[in-house]
Amino acid sequence: MIEIQDLHKSFGPLQVLKGIDLRLEHGKVLVIIGPSGSGKTTLLRCFNLLEIPDRGTLQLAGLRIDFTDNRQIPRKTVLSLRQKTGMVFQSYNLFPHMTSLGNVMEGQVTVQKRSREVAKKRGLELLAKVGLADKTESYPHQLSGGQQQRVAIARAMAVEPEVLLFDEPTSALDPELVGEVLKVIRQLAAEGMTMVIVTHEMKFAADVADTIILMDQGVILEQGTPQQVLRQTRNPRALQFLNRLIGEE
Amino acid sequence: MDDRKLHIFLDSLLPLFKAGVAYTIPLALVSFALGLLLAVVTALVRLSSWRIPQLIARFYVWVIRGTPLLVQLFIIFYGLPSVGIVLDPFIAAVIGFTLSVGAYSSEVVRAAILSIHKGQWEAAFSVGMTRVQALRRIILPQAARVSVPPLSNSFISLVKDTSLAASITYVEMFRTAQQITATTYEPLLLYCEAALFYLLFCSVLSVLQNMLERRFDRYSAR
Ligand SMILES: Nc1ncnc2c1ncn2[C@@H]1O[C@H](COP(=O)(O)OP(=O)(O)OP(=O)(O)O)[C@@H](O)[C@H]1O
Ligand SMILES: [Mg+2]
Repeated sequence: MIEIQDLHKSFGPLQVLKGIDLRLEHGKVLVIIGPSGSGKTTLLRCFNLLEIPDRGTLQLAGLRIDFTDNRQIPRKTVLSLRQKTGMVFQSYNLFPHMTSLGNVMEGQVTVQKRSREVAKKRGLELLAKVGLADKTESYPHQLSGGQQQRVAIARAMAVEPEVLLFDEPTSALDPELVGEVLKVIRQLAAEGMTMVIVTHEMKFAADVADTIILMDQGVILEQGTPQQVLRQTRNPRALQFLNRLIGEE
Repeated sequence: MDDRKLHIFLDSLLPLFKAGVAYTIPLALVSFALGLLLAVVTALVRLSSWRIPQLIARFYVWVIRGTPLLVQLFIIFYGLPSVGIVLDPFIAAVIGFTLSVGAYSSEVVRAAILSIHKGQWEAAFSVGMTRVQALRRIILPQAARVSVPPLSNSFISLVKDTSLAASITYVEMFRTAQQITATTYEPLLLYCEAALFYLLFCSVLSVLQNMLERRFDRYSAR
């Protein structure tokens, strides 16, 4: 279970997160939507401490971290939390000097100290799972965006995280490549992977989410099932955001 | 070219080549290897948040870049004995060139590290790597690729600069040419001959640089 309480984060004078509370049960999918600049990426990056919150608590994979008063987080805590989370970035961020397989083996070998044989076996399994069994020896620049993002998903899974974090995994992709990435994520959801996904793909969000939160200006406007958030909200700002999305589609 | 000159030219080929291979190249290689190590350490210190080491690193780069290499060599070889430090010419030359390569290349390495997109650090952190692991496995290998052309330049400059070691009695290729000149009185011939050898060595290095860059191209973006 993941639990966040009263999370605050500022960049200088700019308050980006103004008291976020949320819970996510094991095996569930949480989708975060909201207008640009509302703090979605920042919130997601707090899950694996790429951003250190100013205030609040985070509970994840048996760790409980209290950020009160900008307290220094022990290095060991940061590292073990990051091993229990995997992240998929909007711009893939694959390691360009390693093959697909190398990318998927890297965390296992360097961080988890698995033997190369074990890491390779798992790496090949994961690449097959995301449909890239024939691209294991390709370098990132030899792959399409959709293929790169699937390698990135395999890389994030390789260290056996308890939760996968996705930051707009398809928004850098050409429209015809979006489907292949979403398919992989849907499959993971069906297998019971715990996931937190920031996305603008509303149909996908409605299908895959157990819970949706709609953020605006650093707070959660609406939180609930897709039905509750997307169909039944009465919040004027939420409606404004949703109507604009529908207008675009 | 008359017969005598041709003879002197041909007779000098082997001694000059030998001096180049046995003294100039080793001096350049040892100094470059040590200098590169120093450069990486200096660059990392300058990118770190340790105040005092950072000041020392900046002071070091400032002094070495702001004073002539020849003067530095003279201080090390002719100056230090007055405080009781007497160095072998080779050691003195290695120290001088290492400090020089370290200072100049630290700027190259620093810029190369800074040129790597911060998403690479974040991807490394996201799989649980420490800073040191991220640096060693993800950042430095990519920075190395970016650094090949400027560092090759430094190395080629260094090969030529080793001729300065002649002035502190290290008998490398150029000093060998000076010695032959002293007995044959053919400065134009001998110094041009030495110049040709430097040209040859540097050309070989350029070819090696190209090969290295092509090797790295395997994974570089289109
Ligand atoms: N490192 C940073 N330093 C300063 N300001 C930042 C930093 N990161 C984010 N911000 C600011 O915080 C606010 C929220 O950014 P964030 O990236 O979390 O929004 P978002 O909801 O992900 O937006 P988008 O949909 O455009 O990705 C923005 O105003 C942004 O400019
Ligand atoms: Mg964002």
